[in-house]
Amino acid sequence: MFSQKAIKRGISGDTQATPEVVRHSRYPHRLSVYSDPPELEVSIEEFESFALDRLQVLKAIEDAQIRSSNEADRHTRISSAVDAHLPLHTNRSKLPLRQLMAERRKDHVSHFILRLAFSRTEDLQSWFLRHEGLLLQHRFRDADAQEKQHVLATMHLPLVYLAPGEGMDVRGSYYSKQDALFEVDFEHVLDLVQRMQVVVNKGRALVPQAEIATLLVHEFRRQLSRALAVCAKALPQLGEDERLVPVLQSLSRQSVRSEYQPTGAAGEVTADSVDSLAVHFPLCMRHLHTSLLKDHHLRHGGRMQLGLFLKGIGLGLPEALVYWRRAFSNLTDDQFQKGYAYNIRHNYGQEGRRVNYTPYSCNRIITTNPPGPGDHHGCPFRHFASDRLNAALRQDGLGEAEATEVVELARNGHYQVACTRHMEINLRKRRTEPAEELRVDTVVSPNQWFDLSVGNGKLPESSRFAASAAQPPGMTQ
Amino acid sequence: MDTSTDDSAIEVSPMTLGQFYQRLFPHRQFYSWLNYKAQSSSMTFTHREFAFTIRDGIYIRYQSFKDCEEFQRELARLIPTRFEIGAVFTAQPKHAKSLQPGVFKPVEKELVFDIDMTDYDEVRTCCQGGSICSKCWKFMAIAMRIVDAALREDFGFEKLLWVYSGRRGVHCWVCDERARQLDDQGRRAISGYLSLIRGGAEQGKKVNLSSRTANHPHVVRSLDIIEDYFEDVVLGEQEILLTRDRWLKVLAALPDEDLRQTLDTQWQKRPDRTSSEKWSDLIDAVDRRAAKQKGKFALTMFERDMMLQYAYPRLDENVTTHMNHLLKSPFCIHPGTGRVCTPIAADDFDSFDPLAVPTLAQLLREVNEATGATKGKEYAETSLGEYVDVFDDFVQTLDPGNEADVAMAGSLDF
Repeated sequence: MFSQKAIKRGISGDTQATPEVVRHSRYPHRLSVYSDPPELEVSIEEFESFALDRLQVLKAIEDAQIRSSNEADRHTRISSAVDAHLPLHTNRSKLPLRQLMAERRKDHVSHFILRLAFSRTEDLQSWFLRHEGLLLQHRFRDADAQEKQHVLATMHLPLVYLAPGEGMDVRGSYYSKQDALFEVDFEHVLDLVQRMQVVVNKGRALVPQAEIATLLVHEFRRQLSRALAVCAKALPQLGEDERLVPVLQSLSRQSVRSEYQPTGAAGEVTADSVDSLAVHFPLCMRHLHTSLLKDHHLRHGGRMQLGLFLKGIGLGLPEALVYWRRAFSNLTDDQFQKGYAYNIRHNYGQEGRRVNYTPYSCNRIITTNPPGPGDHHGCPFRHFASDRLNAALRQDGLGEAEATEVVELARNGHYQVACTRHMEINLRKRRTEPAEELRVDTVVSPNQWFDLSVGNGKLPESSRFAASAAQPPGMTQ
Repeated sequence: MDTSTDDSAIEVSPMTLGQFYQRLFPHRQFYSWLNYKAQSSSMTFTHREFAFTIRDGIYIRYQSFKDCEEFQRELARLIPTRFEIGAVFTAQPKHAKSLQPGVFKPVEKELVFDIDMTDYDEVRTCCQGGSICSKCWKFMAIAMRIVDAALREDFGFEKLLWVYSGRRGVHCWVCDERARQLDDQGRRAISGYLSLIRGGAEQGKKVNLSSRTANHPHVVRSLDIIEDYFEDVVLGEQEILLTRDRWLKVLAALPDEDLRQTLDTQWQKRPDRTSSEKWSDLIDAVDRRAAKQKGKFALTMFERDMMLQYAYPRLDENVTTHMNHLLKSPFCIHPGTGRVCTPIAADDFDSFDPLAVPTLAQLLREVNEATGATKGKEYAETSLGEYVDVFDDFVQTLDPGNEADVAMAGSLDF
């Protein structure tokens, strides 16, 4: 735990952690970007408990992203999870060195265990990347100047500092003269570029000092993403280790709560029965379904979202071809065969990469591929104008107060909570005897809504929130 | 005018197409382009995926060619009705099937953009769907100017090839080394940066910029460009406020129920006012209301947001965001219109006329009437010549691929 140098100096773990002592320890810095793997022994019990604690934190972060409407609340939620499961005290905390080192060791080791566990599939990797990035961002925000400087230094970012008043020709009216800016190749701040939150000039992004955390997290994710790819290649060599593999598999399986495995078995739903099942569709699918009936067509995004959903509720490939052929009634058979049938077979793993796609999760619908002009896909709670959403809910039989409540939730960015509330209201209306307020789990997938609606608020026995080893989320080979 | 049916003389058949590929297609320049002017065949050509659509719509992916001669031969043999260009891979795409999954991966591709007139259906009034005319084509000129300026000034790209897609849109191929190396995330970021219009069919107001974003140099510059056209094109020619149907669509974006009704009533009494006059009514009313409400934000920004909503480029993001996305090649023949997918000169956005682009039938007529003095360059004696010149000029600006690339092509060639 201590460097050779420190041991020679006779430092023991009970020594109070003065700056001098910490500087010569194994973990002189609080924040790490995990460039080097731990070279130390870890007991199998520690292995599992460290990893589980870190997982708790990452899940709390995911939770806070879904449930919190403002930055302050999100920060509090994450802080309490970090304090409970993965505290990291500063060098100035005056704690015994032993404790400081134990915290940092746990942070270090647990990160690498989860790296192993989450490198198995692309979807697990992206979940891990997203939430590790957010954790670093959270910690960076609370860090002191020295800590920040150290982390930035370890990332080797090629930054050029523009003091207030410098680079006037490129600032435009976007930044004020007083802003301190960093100039960096735009590839390092893609998030900011994408949201147009930085000025880009001849390939160089001008990043305000306040956005430096974004820059750091982006770079961290980029490096981690590469490391995960390397890790995934090395993973098969672990295959022999009977102690570790089950632990790793169970870790990643527990994580991804947002992956709902639909229960519909292929063949249970026929082309004829789709329309009558539409009452059990969530708003997004109802909207797609109505638009399809109205226009006899759906654009690509809509076909994917609805098509995979229908697959999830049990519409098999032969029936799907029949269903879509009938729905696109304005097309000739030839047009349909050439333009659309391939895509449907592709969704069922019969073409191209032969990947058997699973239905989109709410998260995916909300965060990726927003609808453009003429598109009907997306999440109504996210992508409808408020009055349009209100009208859609009223049309579905919600009272004025109920609709307003749901719209308000959506307006505040709680899209999934709003959708869940919509279902609760629907289910309550359906019950004959007055039941106490019905609560269901937050909707994470349109297929979960369908199953809940069919089961009157209960999920069927066979359903599970899991990404098993054989069926990683997002796709199954 | 509907370009899909306007030329009954077109017959795009394997025979006429075959003649086009043999006598008119600019193979040499095409090869120089994708080979990035390297001395011998480099990876950017040999490991490049082509996808052919041949008779009866059969689609064959993962074609690749070792050099210009093989490409030319296969084009003449298979006579694709169209073909698409994909990414450069770690190995020759024609061997893709025999490789382990995971070994065969895309490594680079031009950054591409696709702007399609059908995405303007909710703002144009002259045509719908696949049709275009000289009025709505001006939206394309605006789009090209805005995207071109952003790519050059903001991202520093210089090697931009604009191409007419043969019917109702344009493509842009950004060929700078740095652009070709972008991963999907980088492509997504640039595509997001260039997308200001958000929201599907269910949102009335699709541009909602914060006051901060409104000062962004890209927005300021784009608005400058739009101002050159808005009055004439959107109000004058498109007449977006002419009929009640049309003005209700515009009013739907107004975040003030009261104003919506006032203006609707006012215009129903005076439906004969031109779109320009009604636009002034609208902006005046919004300004007065905004002043009264002490600058309620959504109202003060209304005019600016609406100008963007009506004239800012609408990109098909899916084409841009994936490195492994195929895009129809320049100099294909559009099967519906018979027109050639011709390059558009970067200083010629305003005067480019898609309806003047030669068709296959016209070109074959011209080439048969030609003297034949220019063997191997027969296009020079047809109306295709000027477009090949534009392409030629573009190819001249490319940097020769560096030697390391060429060496790599050999070593990875298993």
